[in-house]
Amino acid sequence: MRALIILVLITEFWRIMSAPDEDNHAQVASHFFGELLDSVIMDVASECHRIATLGLDRNLDDEEEELRLSAQARARVADPSNSEANSKYVVDIFGQTHPAVASEIFDCMNCGRSIVAGRFAPHLEKCMGKGRKARVKATRSSTAAAAAQNR
Amino acid sequence: MKLQNLTLTTTMSSNSDHQSHLHRSYASNQQQQSKAVIVPTPCSHLTEFKAGRGATAFGKLLEGIRVRPLGRASVRGEAFQVFRCGACGKVPPRLYACLSCDAVVCDVHAPDHEHEIAIDVDRAELFCCSCGDQVYDRDFDSAVVMSQTAAATLGGCNSLCAPPPESLRKRRRVDYRPWTPDSRERALLGSHSSLLPGNNEDLSSFPVGLKGLNNLGNTCFMNSVLQALLHTPPLRNYFLSDRHNGFVCQQKNGVNYNKNERKNKNLQKLCLACDTDALFSAVFSGDRKPYSPAKFLYSWWQHAGNLASYEQQDAHEFFISMLDGIHEKVDKDERKLHSQGSGACCIAHRVFSGILRSDVMCTACGFTSTTYDPCIDISLDLVPTHEGPTKTLHSCNGNAESINSGVSTLLGCLDRFTRPERLGSDQKFFCQQCQVRQESLKQMSIRKLPLVSCFHIKRFEHSPIRNMSRKVDRYMQFPFSLDMSPYLSSSILRSRFGNRIFGFDGDGNDPDCSNESTSEFELFAVVTHRGKLDAGHYSTYLRLSNQWYKCDDAWVTEVNENIVRAAQGYMMFYVQKMLYYKASGSS
Repeated sequence: MRALIILVLITEFWRIMSAPDEDNHAQVASHFFGELLDSVIMDVASECHRIATLGLDRNLDDEEEELRLSAQARARVADPSNSEANSKYVVDIFGQTHPAVASEIFDCMNCGRSIVAGRFAPHLEKCMGKGRKARVKATRSSTAAAAAQNR
Repeated sequence: MKLQNLTLTTTMSSNSDHQSHLHRSYASNQQQQSKAVIVPTPCSHLTEFKAGRGATAFGKLLEGIRVRPLGRASVRGEAFQVFRCGACGKVPPRLYACLSCDAVVCDVHAPDHEHEIAIDVDRAELFCCSCGDQVYDRDFDSAVVMSQTAAATLGGCNSLCAPPPESLRKRRRVDYRPWTPDSRERALLGSHSSLLPGNNEDLSSFPVGLKGLNNLGNTCFMNSVLQALLHTPPLRNYFLSDRHNGFVCQQKNGVNYNKNERKNKNLQKLCLACDTDALFSAVFSGDRKPYSPAKFLYSWWQHAGNLASYEQQDAHEFFISMLDGIHEKVDKDERKLHSQGSGACCIAHRVFSGILRSDVMCTACGFTSTTYDPCIDISLDLVPTHEGPTKTLHSCNGNAESINSGVSTLLGCLDRFTRPERLGSDQKFFCQQCQVRQESLKQMSIRKLPLVSCFHIKRFEHSPIRNMSRKVDRYMQFPFSLDMSPYLSSSILRSRFGNRIFGFDGDGNDPDCSNESTSEFELFAVVTHRGKLDAGHYSTYLRLSNQWYKCDDAWVTEVNENIVRAAQGYMMFYVQKMLYYKASGSS
């Protein structure tokens, strides 16, 4: 926080100094500015020296390596000649293919009907009386929905 | 501006070469108390100075140290005294007060002074006039920290050194012991188990538990999180070792199994843990056809009524809801343990629950009020640029900056999360020491790391005022290996007090908090989101035996690690590199 205040003062000093003024005023201002700057530099140097000596920055190399690997990875993925990034699926690692809508069929555990997997969620929503559309319907046929749930 | 007089040599010790590693000197200089900090070997002058004076070498310093609230320590002289160099009369940026006599010298005249050890008056740092370098000492730092904390507390070391309340149970650690069945167990295994259905030789060479999940209609938000959880090591181990037995659980809840299968399904007591167990069994069965988590969806919708609808949900919301569901089905007495953050209540919390520490500091006097709260994950704001923990050092290293300037990083987000934030003037905090409302700073840190850390990046912004939401697509770099130690309470406290060598809360041997050995994590799952806010798609990258796989609903494919590094991460799952085995039951 002290550093912030000092930086504000430094900006102020530069502003003052850049305005035309008498020679010795400028010299004095310049001297004080120099003192402040030295002090700030010394603060940072002292803190960094302590951090480095006590080994508090020993992860620095690993962190930079991770950053480098990420930058490299992004460049490789963005390369238009790289086909892996955006290829469509042909087979999965087990040699299987899958349709856009999951085709497995099983019984709904709420009403017992046979449902196609890929359409199970919209079915269940109505079946359980959940969701916006279902709630609108429920006000009209609430007995039917209640009966279905209690079966 | 005369800067040429400013030379600061960085020497770790008189013997070792600075570049040649930290790791070697770490081993030789390691002290018991704080593994985070390397205490460097003192120079001969410092050793000599201390030898002559014993433990009270820096005793008189305690009176001489002046501390600004929340600020640095410096040396206080007589009232209105301005320190000047005894030799030249100047007041340069560096002035040293000798610890053996009353002399004050500047850096230019320090080597000429008869005594060696002095103290930097502005920064309260030890300086060796002979070596011409800043030196460090544990006893000196302790004396400084004591002065700083005395100023910040009601006449004692409050939350800075005191551990959290007794209610946080202590658990013993036991060493890992590999298990092999004895003859009775071997017989049981033989008679009560059957081989998994053998598939193709090729298929069995893939990691066990790798299996697609069918999309049941906009359920990729659920599939992506389930894939991550199916491969969360401690969670997987728990369910695969039958720690939640569905039969036992249903019996406890008064359900009697009868022969009529159909009737059973409606009589079954709702238990998300039972459904999770069924999911694990199916996915780890060895069969490679995709699985439809229909029963799971049905159970989850019964638990989370408000989220039950056929529309795209948020994966993170599902994650929280599912863990909550597992927690809720545990009986009430055990559930109480949750508030203490020990994770003893249920498997969900044992795996994911950590403890966050929140400090609110008075800007006028430095008094600090501390609270602890359990957390199940950490939600991070996406910070625009890389604000690394060592940003002061980065500016010396041009290379890192030019490649990565402007890139958001996970470490940058964590830095922002643990940064001191000034609370608004409308949120003035009542300071017990000042006895009035004062402006204050708030700072978060991690008191205890969970076994598995889940980081959620806030990419979906909802603005209730403007009644609109938007998605933040900005790329965020995340590491494969992560060291969380800079975000621990001990580290945050240490840096608040100038990185002094001192046993801050959380250091050392307290088993209930995290220290160096438990802060290394490895990435194992990434949930990503592609597309727009309401028309997008979730998929998960899994790391198994150092190979990455993409799980996109039913499709499981192998991918190169570059794809993962370049992906848009929404939730990242990291597991502790070294899992300790804790003694189960009461301590």
